[in-house]
Parts: sequence; C-alpha cells; structure tokens
Amino acid sequence: MSSKDSYYVPHGTYWPIIGSIGIATMFVGMANMFHGVSWGGSVTALGLGIVLFMMFGWLGQVVNESVNGLYNSQVDRSFRWGMSWFIFSEVMFFAAFFGALFYAREFAIPWLSGEGNNQYTPDLWNGFVQTWPEIAFKTPAAELRNGTALSVPTELIDTWGLPALNTAILLLSGVTLTFAHHALRAGERNKIIGWLVATIALGVAFLGFQIAEYGHAYDIGLKLNSGIYGSTFFMLTGFHGFHVTVGALMLIVILYRVQKGHFSKENHFGFEGVAWYWHFVDVVWLGLFVFVYWI
Amino acid sequence: MKYIVILIIVLILVALGRALIAMLRGGADNSEKMFKSLATRVALSIFLFLLVMFAGYMGWIEPNTNLPIR
Repeated sequence: MSSKDSYYVPHGTYWPIIGSIGIATMFVGMANMFHGVSWGGSVTALGLGIVLFMMFGWLGQVVNESVNGLYNSQVDRSFRWGMSWFIFSEVMFFAAFFGALFYAREFAIPWLSGEGNNQYTPDLWNGFVQTWPEIAFKTPAAELRNGTALSVPTELIDTWGLPALNTAILLLSGVTLTFAHHALRAGERNKIIGWLVATIALGVAFLGFQIAEYGHAYDIGLKLNSGIYGSTFFMLTGFHGFHVTVGALMLIVILYRVQKGHFSKENHFGFEGVAWYWHFVDVVWLGLFVFVYWI
Repeated sequence: MKYIVILIIVLILVALGRALIAMLRGGADNSEKMFKSLATRVALSIFLFLLVMFAGYMGWIEPNTNLPIR
C-alpha cells in the first residue's frame, strides 16, 4: 500500500479461480443430476462446498483488509457501485417474474379467450373462458388430476391465513431493522445487537411459515404445474423465499461484525448494503402479497 | 381502491429508490437521508398492509385466491 490517495490495487489472489472451479463443478454435477447420473448429486454438493469456501475466504479477506484500514474513499465508492449493480440485477430479476404475472393475466389469457382481434382463438382451445387465477385449460387434459400432466388444486391458499401473518412478520422485521439502523447511527452497540437478533428471528419465522404454506399448497394440489397461476406463484414466492434466506445469512454476518466492532457511527457501508437488501426483499413480498393474493 | 393501493406501492418504491441513491453517493448527509427514506418506506408499507386488510375486510377488494367454479 503506497498511499491513501492512490487507488488501492489488490495483491494477487487465488480466490477467483477457486470460485470458477466451484461453479463449474456445480454445473457439471447439476447437469448430470438432472440426467439421473448417480454421482450428479454428490458432485453438485462438492461444487457448492467449493463456492461457499471461496465466499467465506474471499469476503473474509476483504473484511480483514477493510478493518486494517487498507481502503481509501475510492475503494469505498467502488463497493457502493458494486452493490448498486447487484441490486439493479435483482430488481430486473423480480421485474421479469412480476412482468410474467401481469402479462399472463392482463394480455395472454384475455387474448386466448377472444379479446381484441382474437375472436376465433377460443375455438382452438375448446371454448376457453378466461378466469383468474387461471389454473388449467378447460380441455380434457385439465380434467386429469394429481400426478398427471396438470395438477388441479381443490382449493387455494387462504389470503387471510398464513400469507397475511407472514406479511405482518416481514413488515415487523423491517421495523426492527430500522431500530437497529438507528442504534448504529447513535453508536449503541447492545441495542444494535438486540434489534438485529430480532430481525433475524423474524426472518427465520417467515421462512418457517413459508415452508408450512408450501406443504399446505402441495396437500391441496397447488403445484408448479397448476397452470400459469401455479407457475408464477411458485416462481415468485420461491425466489423470494430464497432471497429471505440469503438476506438472513447476510444479517447473521453483519451481526457477527457488529459484535467484533467493525462498524462506526460514520462508517458502516456493510450494514447499509445489507439493510437496503432486506428492505428490498420486504418490498418485493409486499408487492407479491398485493398482486398475487389481492388485486 | 386498486389505484390507491398501486399509488402507495409506487410511493414505497420511490422511497426505496431514494435510499438506494443516497447509499450509492455515500457520506454523512446521504447516510442520514438513506435512513430517513428507509424509515419512510417502512411506515408506508405498514400503512399499505393495514389499508389492504381493512379494504378486504370491508369487501372493497376481493382476494384472488377464491378458486373459480368450473
């Protein structure tokens, strides 16, 4: 490190190649797993293990360098930019799935039932009539029950039950995180830890209820192959659940770093990045609750 | 009712976006701005949740999850 003002050029590192090997191993394993090859699963697990090892090692090194004061304002800006591009990709990711939901509901299904200049289209599909939620085409195939081409549920998940409870839980976690954020800006470490633990606990509770809801959905026959509603429902809620899992892991890392005293009142970008991510995941759920379950 | 809900969602997204921009810029002033924007978005979210539940209770909006009879 020559000077605080010059751009910090990292030393040579082996983490990128380890990451590449891990991802490649994971893909080879997965491709073979989907083709039913016996060793597919274990190679996937090995690849995942290598990726986790890389993340742990690489991010740990970055944290160490940051704590040892090796970074200047220019590096700080590059972290902020990196986080922003990551968030941009996340926004576009969820925009695509919400887009699929809106498109199917507002355009594709009405067209299939003869809206616009598609007067004769329903004739192609045995007199298709639009409904929402659209579970299955009204064709002989749709009459098949569980275990066949399409799974036709006997009922749908009650909006007033777990979904409403989970929304309340996740919104509450937004409140506790805001309290933690406030405590951090006030420099009260014990309060930060308390509120962070509460946030993580609420996140885990959300995941638990979400698993229970999936179990219920499968019991009543609502699956990924239950028409466009089933597909978009599970894509949106499934990826959201995955993001809550990742967010909770990130919060656990932040909790550890708070305990270690890595953050100051003025300098806590690691916390800010993770906090924003959690708020984002919270808002995605709110959008999901409103558009999938309500309007 | 639908449009009021959508309007509040847009406001929440604006607050979240302002927090993102403040975070991107960095510095003490922006840190403060980010915190305030996030607090605004939490308040708006809770208001929206209560509004939707109330509207559902009053029957102004119907859940999507009533399976159509076919």
